Amino acid sequence: VLGWPYREALRLDEALHPLALLATGLYGKPLPNQNGAPLRLVVPWKYGFKSIKAITRVRLTAERPRTSWNESAPSEYGFYANVNPAVDHPRWTQARERRVGEFRRRPTLPFNGYGEQVAGLYAGMDLARDY
Amino acid sequence: MRGAARALGPALFLFGALPFAVLAVQLFLVYTGRRPDLLGAEPVEALEHATGQLALRFVAFTLAVTPLRRIFGWNALARHRRMLGLFAFFYATVHLVVYAALDLELQLGEVAAEIVKRPYITVGTLSWLALVPLAVTSTRGWVRRLSGGRWLRLHRLTYAVAVGGTVHFWWSVKKDVTEPLVYTIVFAVLLGYRWLTRRSRAGAPGVAAG
Repeated sequence: VLGWPYREALRLDEALHPLALLATGLYGKPLPNQNGAPLRLVVPWKYGFKSIKAITRVRLTAERPRTSWNESAPSEYGFYANVNPAVDHPRWTQARERRVGEFRRRPTLPFNGYGEQVAGLYAGMDLARDY
Repeated sequence: MRGAARALGPALFLFGALPFAVLAVQLFLVYTGRRPDLLGAEPVEALEHATGQLALRFVAFTLAVTPLRRIFGWNALARHRRMLGLFAFFYATVHLVVYAALDLELQLGEVAAEIVKRPYITVGTLSWLALVPLAVTSTRGWVRRLSGGRWLRLHRLTYAVAVGGTVHFWWSVKKDVTEPLVYTIVFAVLLGYRWLTRRSRAGAPGVAAG
């Protein structure tokens, strides 16, 4: 469905942020395959597709690389993909979310609630344009 | 053979009602937290997909009755076409209710905004609206009142519903278009059959059956 292999990318300052993790385990156990073993990126202030699973290769590039979902549907999935309730996905609102195990929706927080820690990375940017 | 013909109605009713019963039980178990995993990580989305597909399938079953009668002579189906069509309306309505009540939690302003803003929601809503007069005029009384071919002409709206529902499905898909493609092919066959046989039917009013 998507081009092979799945590719994702972060800006260097995003990747160096203490909240951006490379996970090898989950709940004190080694990471199961379905959660992206052996190595998975976790970027908690972005939409889930940025948190690439089962990483086999990491490269440092001078130019912004093409990333899987952004390439396949650029109007729907931006490069930054920061959680932003004010920016709709073209086909649905992203103002409210339903957490796993909860049936009711709750309001979605900017940067998934990590605004205090990460908003500074995007100072001066128009996040409605760079979604 | 007579017994089989008599069992056809109840069998088709079960065939139509059973998926709803299963979904209702699943929703109950998820909602009450007894089996929170039963409908996957996105239970509401799972219900939307299931009910939307059921609606499309029953539109297809309804449209399959006429070709099956003509080609295989399965005329016993004719008496049950209304039920198949009403199941299509039923599942389309459940689909819409799940969307408005469970997905958008009855924030009616939001529902209205989404219907206007998102083309696939607009098309889906229009398709459901087109089903309403068909369901209303499905009774014997209305069939009689709309005599002289008017009932048949009105119920050709089903073709528009088939197209609209399929477009709604295509536009709602993220990337994998296999399933909408399957429905497109099925509807193309069912509508294409009518188009190809329209001339031979024009001279034979006895078999006019939409």
